[in-house]
Amino acid sequence: MRSLLVLLVFVASASYAAEDDDEIVIMDPQYGEVLFHFYQDDYFPAIVKLLAAQKQGQLDEHVEDAELLLGGMYLSYGHHLEAAAIFERMLADNVSVEIRDRTWFFLAKIWYQRGYHEKSQEALELVEGELPKNLQREALMMQAQILIETGEYDRAIALLQNWKGRTEWASYAKFNIGVALVRSGRVDEARVFLDELGDMNPFNEELSSLRDKANLALGYALLQDEKPMAAKAPLQRVRLEGPFSNKALLGVGWADAELGNFRRALVPWMELRGRDLLDSAVQESMLAIPYAMSELDSISQAADHYLNAIEAFYEETNRLDRTIAHIESGDLFDEFLSTGPLDSTGWYWELEELPEGPDSRYLFHLLASHEFQEGLKNYRDLNYLHRNLDGWQDSVDVFANMLETRKEAYDERLPRVEDALARADLDGMVSRKLDFDSTLNNIEESHDWLALATRSEFEMWGEVTSLESTPALRADIPEAAEVRDKIQLLKGVLQWQLERDFKDRLWRIRRNLDQAGEALVTAQRSRRQIDETMRNEPLRFEALSNRVYGLAPDIESIKMRVDDEMADQRGYLRDIAVGELQAQKQRLDVYTIQARFALAAIYDIAATEGEALE
Amino acid sequence: MTKTLTSLIVAAMLAFSMATIAQDNDETESRQELRSIDQDVQSLKKEVLDLNRDLFLLEEELLFPANSQVAFFISMDVGEYFELDSVNIKIDGKDVANYLYTEREVDALIRGGVHRIHMANLKTGDHEVVAIFTGKGPHIRDYRRGATLNFNKGIGAKYVELEITDRVKKQQPEFVVKEWE
Repeated sequence: MRSLLVLLVFVASASYAAEDDDEIVIMDPQYGEVLFHFYQDDYFPAIVKLLAAQKQGQLDEHVEDAELLLGGMYLSYGHHLEAAAIFERMLADNVSVEIRDRTWFFLAKIWYQRGYHEKSQEALELVEGELPKNLQREALMMQAQILIETGEYDRAIALLQNWKGRTEWASYAKFNIGVALVRSGRVDEARVFLDELGDMNPFNEELSSLRDKANLALGYALLQDEKPMAAKAPLQRVRLEGPFSNKALLGVGWADAELGNFRRALVPWMELRGRDLLDSAVQESMLAIPYAMSELDSISQAADHYLNAIEAFYEETNRLDRTIAHIESGDLFDEFLSTGPLDSTGWYWELEELPEGPDSRYLFHLLASHEFQEGLKNYRDLNYLHRNLDGWQDSVDVFANMLETRKEAYDERLPRVEDALARADLDGMVSRKLDFDSTLNNIEESHDWLALATRSEFEMWGEVTSLESTPALRADIPEAAEVRDKIQLLKGVLQWQLERDFKDRLWRIRRNLDQAGEALVTAQRSRRQIDETMRNEPLRFEALSNRVYGLAPDIESIKMRVDDEMADQRGYLRDIAVGELQAQKQRLDVYTIQARFALAAIYDIAATEGEALE
Repeated sequence: MTKTLTSLIVAAMLAFSMATIAQDNDETESRQELRSIDQDVQSLKKEVLDLNRDLFLLEEELLFPANSQVAFFISMDVGEYFELDSVNIKIDGKDVANYLYTEREVDALIRGGVHRIHMANLKTGDHEVVAIFTGKGPHIRDYRRGATLNFNKGIGAKYVELEITDRVKKQQPEFVVKEWE
C-alpha cells in the first residue's frame, strides 16, 4: 500500500521514476493489466479496465490499492473532482500523515491550475504535518498567490514576509510581496523589495527573467507614482534582449519625456522602431517618437512619423481582422490538435508548438496563458471522448450483427439438437444399468459361475451336458463307462475353470458397470446443462440484445453532449483568443485616432503659422 | 493646444502601459468561465468512463463468454538477464499471437505491469500452450526460448500467466508458466 501511494503521489508530481523502489506484488492479473496501461500514461484505458475489473469483482486481492490507483489515475487524467472524492474517502485514517499531506498538496496544485481557488485553499488547509521543504515552499507560494488574486494583499504580504533563505523561492516571495504592495498602493514599501530583487546577481535564466520582471514592475509603478527620475534606474536594469526589453525601453523613454528631456527619450524609442509591431510597446513607440519630435519642434519629421504609424496600424489591423475571422471559423483549434498524436490524454499535456501559418505570430502569447492551455486541454480531452464514442458506435453495430448471426445459427441448430436428444434414451439406459446391477447381485449371491461364462464356454458346457443325456451312454458297457468318465472330467475341468475365474470376472463386470454408471451420470449432467442452455440461451440473447440496443442510444446521447461541450469549449477558447486580438485591435484603433488627432494638430499649427506668415 | 493634446495622449498611453503590467478583472471572469466548463467536462468524463466500462464488459462477454474464455498474460520479474523483443503464442499447435514490444511497454512490464497478450475461446478439456520469447539474453546475445504448459480448461474462465524471471545463480532468464483460476 505504501509503495503504491508513494508512486501515486509522485505520479502527480510527474517525477516518480526514481522513487518507485518498493516492489508491487501482483495478486490478480487484471490489476497488473491496469498497471501495464498506467505505467505507459495511458490513463483512459487503464481507468476503464480498472472500473470493469472492479465491477466483475476481479480485484479481490487489491481492493484498497485499486481504489487508490483509481484516484491517482483520475488525478493524472485531470478528473480531479472524482479523484478528490476517492482520496477523501481513502485517506481518512489508513495512511501516514506524510502521504496524506502530499496528496492534498497535489490536489491543491491541480485545483489552483484549474481556477478552483477555494478548493485549493481548503486542500492546503488539510495539510497537517510538515511537507518536504520544496513542496512546503510551493504550497506557501500558492497560498500567497491565491490571496493576491482574491485581493487580500495584507494577508499575502504577512504570509510571504516570513520567507527565509536566499533561494529562488525567496526571490519569488519578494516579487510577490512587491506586487501585493504595489496593488495595495504602497509603492514606497514595494520599492524596497523590488529594488533588492532588481539589483540581484542572477545565476540562471529563470532568475534573470524574474529580475527583469521586478525592475519593470517597479519602474512602471514609479512612473505611475510620478517619480520618473527614480523609475529610470530599474527600467535601465532590464536586459536589452529579454522578453521585457520592449516595455522597459518604452518606459525609459517616458521617464525622460516626463523629465522634459525629449532628445534622450528618442534614443530608446528609436531602438524600438525596428522591432516586432505586434508588441504594444513597439506600437506605442511609433506615436511616442513623433510626439517627442514635435516637442523638439521637428514638425515635418513628426508628421511623417505619424503618417507611417497610421499606415502601419492600418495594415496590422487588417491582418488582425483576417486572423479573427479564421479563429471565429473554429478551424484553428482543430489545427492545434492535429499537430500531435491523440493516443494519450493526461494532465501534463501542453501544446508547445503552434501550427504554422500567418496567424501563429498572434497566438504565441496565448500559449503562455493559463486559461488558454487549460481550456485547450479540456478541448483535447473532449475530442478524445468524441473519437472514443465514434469507435464504440461502430463496434455496437458489429455487436448487433454478431448477436443476430449467432441467434440465427442457434435457431437453425436447435431442431437438430432436439432431435438427437429425443433419440438418446438416457432414462432407458439408466434403467438397463440398474437391471444389470440387480442381475449381477443375484449372480454373486447365488455364486452362479455359469452366468459369467463366455459364449464359447457356455456352448461347450451345453454340449457337454447334452452329451451326458445321450441314451447310448446309459448302456452298461465299458466303452460307455469310459465316455461317461471323460464327460465327468470335462465338466469338472470346465466348472473348475469357471469357478476359478468367477471372482475376477465378477470384478471386471462390476467395474465396467460402474464406469457405465459414471458415464451415464456425466451424460445426465451434460443433458441437464444442455437443457439449461436451451432454456437460458434465448434469455441470454435477449439480455445481450437489450444491452447492445440499450447502450447504442446512450452513446448517441453522450456523443451529442460531448459535441455541445466541444462547441462551448471552442467558444471559450475563441473568446479568449478573439478577446486578446480585439484588445490589440482596439489599442491600434485608439493609437490611430491619437495619431490622426496629433497629425491634424500639426497641420493646424502649420496652417496657422502659414497664414500668419502671409 | 498642442501641448494639451499631447499630454492627453501621453496619459492615455501610460494608462495602456500600466494595464499590461497590472492584472485586470477579465482574468477572474475568464477563470470563472473555465471553471464552469471544466465542471461540465468533468461530469461528461465520468459518464463516458462509466459507459466505456459497460461497453468493455459487454464486448468481452460477447466475444469471450466466461465458460470458454482463456486469457494469456505476459509479466516480467526483474528482467536483468533478458531484454524482451517479442512473444509468440501457439495454442494446440496453432499460432494465435505474435506481439512485438515497444520500449515503453517493456518498461511497464519491468515495473510490474501485466500485458494481456491474447484472449481465446477454448472448449473444456486438455490444451497445450507454447510461448516463444525472443530478445537479447545475457551479454546482449540474441536469445530465443520457449515455455510449454499443458492445461485443462474447466467450465469457468481461465487465466494463464507467462512470467519472465531471472535465475540469478545461472545468470540466465527463466520462463515460468502460471495458471490462475
